[in-house]
Amino acid sequence: MQLGFLDFYGGVLNVRQDRADLIANNIANADTPNYRAVDVPFTAALQSQLGDTSVSPQESGTQYRADGIVGLNGNDVSLDAERVEAAANGEQTQAATVFLHQSTADLVTALRPNPGGI
Amino acid sequence: MSNMDIFGIVGSALDAQNQRMGAIASNLANVDSITPPGQQPYRAHEVVFSAAPVADGEDDGTASASGPDAGVQVVDTVQSNAEPVRKYDPSSPDADSTGYVTGSNVSQAEQMVDLIDSSNSYSASVAVLQQASRVDQQIISSFQVT
Repeated sequence: MQLGFLDFYGGVLNVRQDRADLIANNIANADTPNYRAVDVPFTAALQSQLGDTSVSPQESGTQYRADGIVGLNGNDVSLDAERVEAAANGEQTQAATVFLHQSTADLVTALRPNPGGI
Repeated sequence: MSNMDIFGIVGSALDAQNQRMGAIASNLANVDSITPPGQQPYRAHEVVFSAAPVADGEDDGTASASGPDAGVQVVDTVQSNAEPVRKYDPSSPDADSTGYVTGSNVSQAEQMVDLIDSSNSYSASVAVLQQASRVDQQIISSFQVT
């Protein structure tokens, strides 16, 4: 089945929402001993959202961040890195929303009866 | 996926940091408390954070299948077992037979560092909250029918 723009932007927004939750969770646990920061790989998660079965759940699911520096309490959350991720994720969510709105607006325009009546 | 949304997660973080600051305030207030001989001195309270619900401890590079942890919770308050400060002050009514007065075991500098750390985490959580609501507002307003 061919994917419509609603499937695509819906998938993008779902993955963005998941990432926002995970980043908020990382920041919430910035002081929890032995907590390790998690994230989802965007491309793999989007492919799985769009019904691509070639991506395994391990690849598209939640994964630990690989580049964190583990502190003395076993926690590897970097508040600065998480805030940057949150900002980037927020901007990209807004971008997806704007594109989705533009696409729906075009569709609505096409559905309107011709104002000139020709 | 987690069954807790971004606002629930941030709420739990703000709540936990608030409790931590409460403990720090209590510790700082009691930094100069003294105790008569034979009584327990004031010991610094420390809150224990835990990711909620607790992860199942798998360490294979992926988080547990039941979904990632959602939010943070204060599971316990422990008392520091550092040595209480003893000061030589024979004129004090609370001095023991050798003239020493037992104070609290609160380290003021440590508590201040903890307070700054807590305040940093708190403001990061508030920033996430503000950003999430800004994005939500934008999504709502972008779909207003004009």
